[in-house]
Amino acid sequence: MSIYIENLSVKFRIYHDSSPSLKDYASNLFKRSKQSRYSDFLAVNDVSFDINSGDRVGIIGHNGAGKSTLLKALCSIYSPSEGKIIVNGRIAPLLEIGAGFHPEFTGRENIYLNGAILGFSKGEIGAIEAEVIAFAELEEFIDTPVKYYSTGMYMRLAFSLATAMEPDILVLDEIFAGGDAAFMKKARARMHDLIDKSNIMIMVSHDHELVRSLCNRLIWLDHGKLVADGPPDKVLNRYLDIN
Amino acid sequence: MKTVLARFFVEIYDGRSVLSQLVSQQLILRYRRTALGYLWSLINPLMMMTVMAVVFSTLFKADLKTFAVFLFAGMIPWNFFSSLTSQSCFSFINNEGLIKQIYLPKAIFPLSIAIALLIDSGLSFLALFVIILSIGGSLSWAVLFIPIAYVLLFFFALGIGLIMSVLTVFFRDLQYVISIAMQGMFFLTPILYKPESLTGKVEWLIKLNPVVPFIELFRTPLFLNTVPSLDIILQATMYSVLSMAIGLNFFLRQEKKIVFRL
Repeated sequence: MSIYIENLSVKFRIYHDSSPSLKDYASNLFKRSKQSRYSDFLAVNDVSFDINSGDRVGIIGHNGAGKSTLLKALCSIYSPSEGKIIVNGRIAPLLEIGAGFHPEFTGRENIYLNGAILGFSKGEIGAIEAEVIAFAELEEFIDTPVKYYSTGMYMRLAFSLATAMEPDILVLDEIFAGGDAAFMKKARARMHDLIDKSNIMIMVSHDHELVRSLCNRLIWLDHGKLVADGPPDKVLNRYLDIN
Repeated sequence: MKTVLARFFVEIYDGRSVLSQLVSQQLILRYRRTALGYLWSLINPLMMMTVMAVVFSTLFKADLKTFAVFLFAGMIPWNFFSSLTSQSCFSFINNEGLIKQIYLPKAIFPLSIAIALLIDSGLSFLALFVIILSIGGSLSWAVLFIPIAYVLLFFFALGIGLIMSVLTVFFRDLQYVISIAMQGMFFLTPILYKPESLTGKVEWLIKLNPVVPFIELFRTPLFLNTVPSLDIILQATMYSVLSMAIGLNFFLRQEKKIVFRL
């Protein structure tokens, strides 16, 4: 399993007023306005690195440094504006809590919906269904639409489901876990278990202690550029010195 | 281009379980917790058509039974086409949360709308079938042509749906433009009247209207009890091939930009 990133740039176009309307577009066709209404912004700017089997990579940096954009590019949500990404292995992001949930669907239906979104077949989902429900402690309410769930129930289901699949390459954007203290403890153990089982783990976090304990390599991004790449202590010390 | 196209179909095939989830989401969800449930999908268009049949058969001084069959046969393809065009506009906008969280083949969103509408339309066609028989209408073997008519209509509408789904992400005004355009187009398409009735200054509009042959594809077997002329079939085939070719080409060129513009 491996990931190669070569001169990767991801460009966003920022519109200064609003999204261009049909009218603006039509009028711009005729008068090529000198002052452009948008500017380009490189969220990830010419970044190159490789990740190999066994790597536990943490990505750190300020808000807006391009960390999440980089993760999303890895998961092919954003396609590179320049450069290339080659991913060998099954990569799966841990969805934000409830991203693939439909409020009108029952817990069980959501397990199937979300499982399908994550690329699992009906059979594969059927195999993990009981375990997900048990871990979320929702046996009683699994056939109730999730819109009637309490926040805790909702989070428990989303967490159990998201962590039930074991991708080769695990991608985490700010680990979370909701619910009461007992569930949090259980969730943390499951999270560590999932990380242990994965071949490659890549995470973004602002929690420096967490990064230090889980990762064996840190990448520091600033304004879309790679500043440092190396062992956690070394990178983290440099990072903390500057900030 | 060839490899892009091959990848496109492989991705859709791999995404088939999401696709079927999205389709059932659309079919089931709308009527959850209603007493009649899915039946509303059938009742709604049939009631609408009944009201129209009564009003317009009186206006045109036509026999209600004959006019009802005539109208229903034209309304079914029209409803499919117009719903698909207008609903496709929301296929990406309504799934923004998902698209920004995980990579899914983009085409499954408009495709799921098209498939759900095809199922809806097929079932209301069956209901129409029953109605025609119960009011004493006759059906001939020409009805067997209807599945072919559906195939041609499906790809024609899907091609346009693919374009609309992407364009609306770029130009949000389009959703309103489409709803007005569809209202206008309804009257400019021979659904309430025969294609040869609209003469004079607007006659050319009927000639240019690509939906016309598709209406005929449905109406000839149901109303005239014969298979449509080869001319109409070729015309419809040409429009669906053209629509898919343009639609797919446009879609494949633009699909990577969608996520940046949502």
